[in-house]
Amino acid sequence: MSRKKIYVDRRTVLKGAATGAAAILFAPNIVTAQSKKIRIGMLTILSGRVAQLGTSSRNAVMMEVEKINAAGGLVGREVEMVIRDSKGQPQEAARVARELVNSDGCEILYDAEASSGGFAVHEVAKDLGVLCIHTNSETSSLTADPKIRIPNAFRVCRQGIHDSIAGGAYAAEIAKAKNLRNWATCSPDYAYGRDSTQTFMEYLKHFYPEAELKTEAWPKLFQPDYTEVITKVIQARPQALYTCLWGGDLTSWIDQGNIYGMFSQNQVFAVNMADYTALTTVKNLPQGIHSGNRYIKTFPNTPQNAAWADEYRSRYGEYPTNWSWQNAVGIHFLAAAAKKANSVDGKKLEEVLRGLTIESPFGTDGTVTIRAEDQTIVNYAIGWGTTIPQEPYVPEVKAISWETIFELETEWKKRNNYL
Amino acid sequence: MTGPRSSVGCGVPALHGRRVYFSPRCNLDLAALTDCFSSASCIVTQTTSGLIIGLLLFLVAAGLTLIFGVLKVVNFTHGSFYMLGAYFAYTVNNLTSSYALAVLAAAIGVGLFALFFERFFISRVYGANVLMQLLVCYAFILILDDAVKIIWGPEFKSMGMPDIFQAPPFFVAGGIIPVFYLFLIIVTLFIAVGLWLIIAYTRFGTIVRAAAVNPSMVSALGINTGLIYAAVFAIGGMLAGLAGGLAVPVRSLTAGMGFSILIESFIVTVIGGMGSIAGALIGSILIGLVRAFGSIGFPLFVEGLMFALMAIILILKPSGLLGKEG
Amino acid sequence: MAPKQTTLSRDLLIAGVALLVLLILPVLWPSKALSDLIIRVSAFSLFATSLNLLVGYTGMVSFGHGMFFGFGAYCFGLSMQRLGVSIPTALLLTIALTAVLAAVVGAISIRLKEIYFAFITLAFQMLLHSLIIAWVPLTGGDQGLMGGIPRPEFLGIDFGLESNRYAFSVLLMIVGLLALRHVAESPFGYTLRMIRDNPERASFLGVNVFRTKLTAFIIAGIFGAVGGVIMAMFVSGAYPEFANWTMSGEGIFMVMLGGISTFLGPTVGAVILSLLNDLITRRTEHHGIFLGVIILVFALGLRKGVTDFIADWFQARRESAGAQLKGGRQ
Repeated sequence: MSRKKIYVDRRTVLKGAATGAAAILFAPNIVTAQSKKIRIGMLTILSGRVAQLGTSSRNAVMMEVEKINAAGGLVGREVEMVIRDSKGQPQEAARVARELVNSDGCEILYDAEASSGGFAVHEVAKDLGVLCIHTNSETSSLTADPKIRIPNAFRVCRQGIHDSIAGGAYAAEIAKAKNLRNWATCSPDYAYGRDSTQTFMEYLKHFYPEAELKTEAWPKLFQPDYTEVITKVIQARPQALYTCLWGGDLTSWIDQGNIYGMFSQNQVFAVNMADYTALTTVKNLPQGIHSGNRYIKTFPNTPQNAAWADEYRSRYGEYPTNWSWQNAVGIHFLAAAAKKANSVDGKKLEEVLRGLTIESPFGTDGTVTIRAEDQTIVNYAIGWGTTIPQEPYVPEVKAISWETIFELETEWKKRNNYL
Repeated sequence: MTGPRSSVGCGVPALHGRRVYFSPRCNLDLAALTDCFSSASCIVTQTTSGLIIGLLLFLVAAGLTLIFGVLKVVNFTHGSFYMLGAYFAYTVNNLTSSYALAVLAAAIGVGLFALFFERFFISRVYGANVLMQLLVCYAFILILDDAVKIIWGPEFKSMGMPDIFQAPPFFVAGGIIPVFYLFLIIVTLFIAVGLWLIIAYTRFGTIVRAAAVNPSMVSALGINTGLIYAAVFAIGGMLAGLAGGLAVPVRSLTAGMGFSILIESFIVTVIGGMGSIAGALIGSILIGLVRAFGSIGFPLFVEGLMFALMAIILILKPSGLLGKEG
Repeated sequence: MAPKQTTLSRDLLIAGVALLVLLILPVLWPSKALSDLIIRVSAFSLFATSLNLLVGYTGMVSFGHGMFFGFGAYCFGLSMQRLGVSIPTALLLTIALTAVLAAVVGAISIRLKEIYFAFITLAFQMLLHSLIIAWVPLTGGDQGLMGGIPRPEFLGIDFGLESNRYAFSVLLMIVGLLALRHVAESPFGYTLRMIRDNPERASFLGVNVFRTKLTAFIIAGIFGAVGGVIMAMFVSGAYPEFANWTMSGEGIFMVMLGGISTFLGPTVGAVILSLLNDLITRRTEHHGIFLGVIILVFALGLRKGVTDFIADWFQARRESAGAQLKGGRQ
């Protein structure tokens, strides 16, 4: 009988403790409307393998936010970034996004998560109706698919489909010139890897129908040992090779490919090569790898772009990454929108952001625009070039025309019933 | 290997009405596999490929199985040992530009760390629930991943190939064998043989084997089992660190790089038999060959296949290929 | 027998009170973070308690329990997205399919002992994980189920309202815990304990050990899946991470931190781990070090779960009721 009493007591104790803890932890963070600061909740990946995504995103954001605050903030209100680690886990991303908006008084959600984390945050934005800026999620369907797209979410980063069209167009010209008919691909086996590779081959064939895919290799994402995929590719003796491996995977693939002489036999098209971290980390960078631009200081070849890169570098001791410029441009858009709407109210910002064009060091012609119909950026600098193993790494980048991209993108959307 | 292919590209519309199995996205490419088996160059290249994958994996798995065999501890921190070895080697190489010193530093450094880990942490949970051991190991994985990120930074690192190995690859029967990989194969085989010799023929090895079977008897004979346990754990950790250091020229380093090798070593240890080093050797080479030839025949099922193999062995002979029953 | 009836009615009373408290809480203390925490704890509580049915009550250490969490989330998500059924129907469908999965996996795995059972459950879980990632047209691959899970009205209840979803999650947790409690305190539950303590003796007494273990495995799988359903509703999607071995690991930690020998131990562990996670990630990005150190303190300092510790303490106090004791451990 005494057992029963203890049982109830224990439960009560636990409940009491839980309520007490809750009181301390969850006291609502009251931010009154009269408060000077505007809180923007940013979630990104700050731990694990891809921690660099988060740190470089955060670096860019803080750099830009400081400049904005120095100039008076957004319509007179100082910007306060609340930055949390969502660890690349979608359930954590969902929880953190909700916490930022519900408990920490954030009025805007700045989503610097990637792939599945981004989709989880997208659902939270759908539920809460808060303005959400996606800065690192490159999956096209996030904005292209009308079933997924929502009016309060905007994407300010590059898109898979744009990169594939640009890559296909560029590669086709090289292929025509050098008669590269036999192709092989070696890309990581996950959504981004599969979609990018598939659409690249499609557009390559669109511009150069003689191209033939002889062999495909599909390593797992973050696979450390590429020996079997490298040997598979080599044995097919392709004339050209496409890969969308990135970051550490790309560098170890190059290291391992080098000892097999993989790069002396083929023309290699690595869409993610032209990223400073990758370029500077690989000790024996082969000459003449064709790469798309992730972020290159000399493309666009403007003083504004160079100045931004230098500012980032002197402040953080390293070059900016693709994630850096995307997060910077997001802040630029917010600033421009706030100024134009003369408000930081989410709904008003939404209306202004649709179709907004801003001056940007990252734009093809000095401007970047958020396309109104699918709320994603266009006209950002896209181009391809070949690498050399020392500065400036990619001396000449050939810009790809956005007319071509638009035409084929529209056709792609029609094919997928997105229009 | 060249010539018209009748295989279906994954994601590209099917040609020639090729049947698509199970996963609607890709298919089996058995034609390519049979092509490979009938080509000497392919066999040489892929077999070397399999050996390389397998032997590096063996070093890690050997340490894991040794620790389990003698201490009955499942060392979930083993992947982190590998990661530490890689980072130690990277740093020492930066300081001294000597790959040999780097590898040595990796082995010794991680061996010492493993010793510290065992004496102060693991020894407290000997005989406890395996889940408590798992908890302690997991705590260390969390701490080490963060520590590595703080000390070395969040971006990935790469050491590059030491100059000695930057020679063109060997060609045997048309198959390709890179110089560095030949070196790795020789070194790991050497270590494997050395390990076997030590365990089978030295006094220390005999004591270790005895401690694995009957620790109380060993201690009754006046031998300090605590020292033995510490030594075994240190050796196991050293092997993992050595693997990390050896592999550095062809890996990129990030926090969390230990995970995939941890899972693979478990698969190898289960297949080979927990506690059997020879089993670990057979298991890792098997896995290596499966990966090498599997990437040609069924590129997208390789990982699933490894887990399926693990399941099959567990069902048919749970103690593994060379493990002891019971 | 009389004691069983008392237990059942006492449990119902506690469950009822708990349900009332949890339902009134958001009214008294309107913090969305608190509601979110409770929903997540609901999901993890069912997951961890069902795991403990295997680990603590039957002595079957499973490393692959996350497979049911993930499977439940995907079944539910897919039923709602593709079949357009109501939420309760999707839930029942999920339970049925999970039972089949658990029966198949269990039938193969249970013949193995101890660490081998643990490894084979892990192998099956990773196979499911690989399957989820590979079967892109069905599951969305590594992106997970995109587009959100629909929330159709049912019997007049609008599931579009957050408060209704909260109430539903809490209800599922209480009912699930009650059911698991009933299983644990029934003769079947005591048979499980007997199998844990001495399987040979149990079989001599005429117990079909295999079938009993299989039943326990299926029950555990079902409630693990219900946990997955709650999580899927919360994030409005299902992701491969739900079926990854890291999820199994979290379940094990909740059980170990909270207590393996009490019924509510895993729930306490779920609360502790979720609170710790929230607290730490708010303050710092170096959550690995902080969480790791705290876990070490638990594992090496307490050496048992929180409720185990408390239960032992009360036990020690009771046992030396006569003598004066300062509440130390035995």
